[in-house]
Amino acid sequence: MAVIRIDGDDLVVMMEGLDKLWAFKGSLTIPLANVRGVTADPGMAAEPKGMRAPGSHVPGVIIAGTFHQHGEKVFWDVRDPAKAVVVELADERYTRLVLQVEDPRATVALVESALS
Amino acid sequence: MGRPRAFDEEEAVRAAVGLFGGRAYDGVSVDDLVGHLGVHRNSLYKTFGSKRGLYLTALRRHLADDLRPLLETLADAPDVAAVLRLVTSADLGLLLLAAVERAPVDEEVATEVRTALAAVDRAIADALGVPADMAAALTSAALGILLRGNPDDVGAALARRLDSLTGERNPTWQ
Repeated sequence: MAVIRIDGDDLVVMMEGLDKLWAFKGSLTIPLANVRGVTADPGMAAEPKGMRAPGSHVPGVIIAGTFHQHGEKVFWDVRDPAKAVVVELADERYTRLVLQVEDPRATVALVESALS
Repeated sequence: MGRPRAFDEEEAVRAAVGLFGGRAYDGVSVDDLVGHLGVHRNSLYKTFGSKRGLYLTALRRHLADDLRPLLETLADAPDVAAVLRLVTSADLGLLLLAAVERAPVDEEVATEVRTALAAVDRAIADALGVPADMAAALTSAALGILLRGNPDDVGAALARRLDSLTGERNPTWQ
């Protein structure tokens, strides 16, 4: 589970609980200028994910870690597809983040209001 | 496994106009978009950034494709009846849904809707030679008829009333 919040001109992703073990040391800060959008997308988890980067450990039911596909680098941390949001980035290490959040609609509203 | 195939962006955006105009913003999932637009999910995100990004692109396309022709035909409208008939028969589904559903929560959508309706007001004002506020009132009446239908032919009743006034070289508009 991830918590997305807005801190000034940044979008901050905090990983909760055990998820921080395999996720960028617990948090990731991205300038809002590099956030192209965020979308609630329960169907995303069914997409092909490409090659997992070395080093990410993924036990069965959870999709987590860094994946490479078609030259894109995508970070995944999703256990419950119904709660997945897709954060599209520009000029960042990751092309996009696919994260599980508590309330996808509220997260989308939060980020979109910060972007506008 | 190949790369995602290239897609026709024009065609995809037109399909999105149809989807959002028919089912509203919240009624369209990314699965729906991927299924109907001929776009891979990753390409969709790469091209439009988000569902909202695609929606804004689709709304602008709708206004360019569907509103602009209305403005052109309105320029030749001879009377109130023609104005009401033209506006109520135009394909403005996505604009109406945007006004109701997204404009209250999305400033960029609100701006597009405001600008679009102001353009309709101007076209009516120019065509009939009526003041801006009266033109806006006619736009509002036409949108009301679009939403409500035309019970007891209120459009004709309004047109009769107003055209008899405009026929007198509109002294009452001042």
